[in-house]
Amino acid sequence: MKRIAKLTSVLVGLFLASGAQASDALVTADWVQDNLANPNVRIFEVSVDTGVYERGHIPGAVHLDWHTDLVDPVKRDIADQAAFEAMLREAGVSRDTTVVLYGDNNNWFAAWGAWVFDVYGIEAKLLDGGRKLWEAQGLPLDTALVDHADSLIELPERNTALRARLNDVLDASEGRSAAKLVDIRSNDEYTGKVFAPEGVKELAVRAGHVPGAVNVPWGKIVKEDGTFKSADEIKAIYAEQGIDGSSPVITYCRIGERSSHTWFALKRILGYDARNYDGSWTEYGNAVGVPVVNVAGTVWTGK
Amino acid sequence: MLDIRLRSFAAAAILLAIAAGAWLLSADPAAKGLVFSLLTGAGLGVVLQRSRFCFLCNLRDFLDERDPRGVLAILVALGFGAILYSVVVMSWVPVPQPGRLPPNAHIGPVGPVLAVASFVFGLGMAISGSCLSAHFYRLGEGSATSPFAIVGAAVGFLLGFLTWNPLYLWSISESPALWLPHFLGHAGSLTLTLLIVGLLGILVHVLANWADWTAATAGPSNPLKAILVDRWPPVAAGLLVGTLSAIFYFRVAPLGVTAELGSLVRTGASGIGLLPGTLLGLDTLRGCATVVKQALLSNNGILVVGLVAGSLASALAADQFRPRRPTARQIARSVFGGLLLGWGAMTSLGCTVGVLLSGIHAGAVSGWVFLVFCTLGAWSGLRAPVLRRLAK
Repeated sequence: MKRIAKLTSVLVGLFLASGAQASDALVTADWVQDNLANPNVRIFEVSVDTGVYERGHIPGAVHLDWHTDLVDPVKRDIADQAAFEAMLREAGVSRDTTVVLYGDNNNWFAAWGAWVFDVYGIEAKLLDGGRKLWEAQGLPLDTALVDHADSLIELPERNTALRARLNDVLDASEGRSAAKLVDIRSNDEYTGKVFAPEGVKELAVRAGHVPGAVNVPWGKIVKEDGTFKSADEIKAIYAEQGIDGSSPVITYCRIGERSSHTWFALKRILGYDARNYDGSWTEYGNAVGVPVVNVAGTVWTGK
Repeated sequence: MLDIRLRSFAAAAILLAIAAGAWLLSADPAAKGLVFSLLTGAGLGVVLQRSRFCFLCNLRDFLDERDPRGVLAILVALGFGAILYSVVVMSWVPVPQPGRLPPNAHIGPVGPVLAVASFVFGLGMAISGSCLSAHFYRLGEGSATSPFAIVGAAVGFLLGFLTWNPLYLWSISESPALWLPHFLGHAGSLTLTLLIVGLLGILVHVLANWADWTAATAGPSNPLKAILVDRWPPVAAGLLVGTLSAIFYFRVAPLGVTAELGSLVRTGASGIGLLPGTLLGLDTLRGCATVVKQALLSNNGILVVGLVAGSLASALAADQFRPRRPTARQIARSVFGGLLLGWGAMTSLGCTVGVLLSGIHAGAVSGWVFLVFCTLGAWSGLRAPVLRRLAK
């Protein structure tokens, strides 16, 4: 009897934990407002448009510059451990701090940030709807910079299980691994009609997608106001494409930031085994000798 | 001359239209930059028109008549704006770290190309009759020549885009964006700026013929006339221009009046395939950014619209709206001068407002370089015999 009770409590605990994990990945604007003065909550803004943070951010939020704080400014890579650790220490993030990220451009770069945080062992949450929703609700913005007391956090080595490299993508594409590929770009990019979205430089010399990848444009899983659809809806959208969490998933886009947004939904909201391929199409579409599906048949610089 | 009732009614109607425009734009919470730009533009238009804040006319008044008022207004604007800017910049960038610049601030590349482009811009001022910001406010005064100067400037911008790539590879790519606080800290930078402005002020004071101008500006005036008709005193004008510059930087972006013109030319010219496929490095440099247009309304475009409308309202109220038929010679001069203005503004990434005013306010060395070479260019245009004949 005692054993059964113990087992039940463990099961209930597991259930609660997984339930908490599923809903805990996102926080609402109300939650952020209620926790503005909470010393155990640290909010970061990751906006890519220059001057957006300085001209008004969520009170107390720390600025993360995507171009310098979240990536290696010289080689193409995510921020290195020492630099990221130094940044977190200065922002006063310790092991028991709840990290919340938000930003402009549909939270794309904030989601990239969340992925980098996760790679370094910190499960950051996203403010659902990002900066756009915060502004649309007329919530307060501040221009003051807060100097948080430094922390002594030590980061673990990178968790490579969250990141897919070119070889992982090839293994998935050519059937050497069970992983499934999700291309989250627009259908026109996926089919090879265009090399890059409008207004963006064509940085790949081949158009199309990785063989075997399914196309679920990132916008499919968000609502009009920029917030994520419910976990059940997201689950159904992916299940339709044969992605149900039974095998690992690799997400990719053009440079890896929009795919972080989908990675966040799959990994953090649905709890699937998901990896982000940050090399994305700008690496794959330039790699020599890799197979490509180009439905539209567009030829680079061809007439 | 228009009837005073008609003028007053028209001026009030324009101000109402600006307010209504701002109100309509404010319905979209994402458009708060547009609302602020429209209102700042209108305010700037009124201030520039009321105080005759024109870089060239003020310089010419000083050189020809030793009238110090306009030049002093510019110096007050430079100094006061720098003080207000430093409040903003110090809160955004508490410690000036190498490699990091305050967001959006117009801290342009400093090198020989900037010097030449500023000189050409100054020459264009002398030939066309004023700088670009003044041509815009003069549109509101019904100027007969400013429309031609602006058309000329558009062509100049096109030439600027066409000569950009070789100039970038030759020099601009290696020209550093020098920011005084990197060398002197915030306090040192502001002190140096105020010191230079103060010394220039003393120089102007010593060279000025004060006797003529104290008499002209003294004496009590009807307060309504003092605001609506008389030229605003230089200190008031300088304080207002400096204030508008800093609050616009704080809320939207540094002041500048050429970005929209440049963007229109760039969008049009690249649309018909006139421009090189890539303008090297242009979109990564600080200054009046010319981007290929994606949306109809831009902050800078609506700022300029507000500026012209504000100036028109103010000119009508003061009975200074005086359209005239230009002579062929005036047209030719305006177009040619405008062409130099456009090439100079494109190549130096802004004009007397975008590079000189917003740059010096932010502690950019590029602002001072522009000031020196643009003044030399204007001076040559006004004084060199050959050019003087052209400018006559």
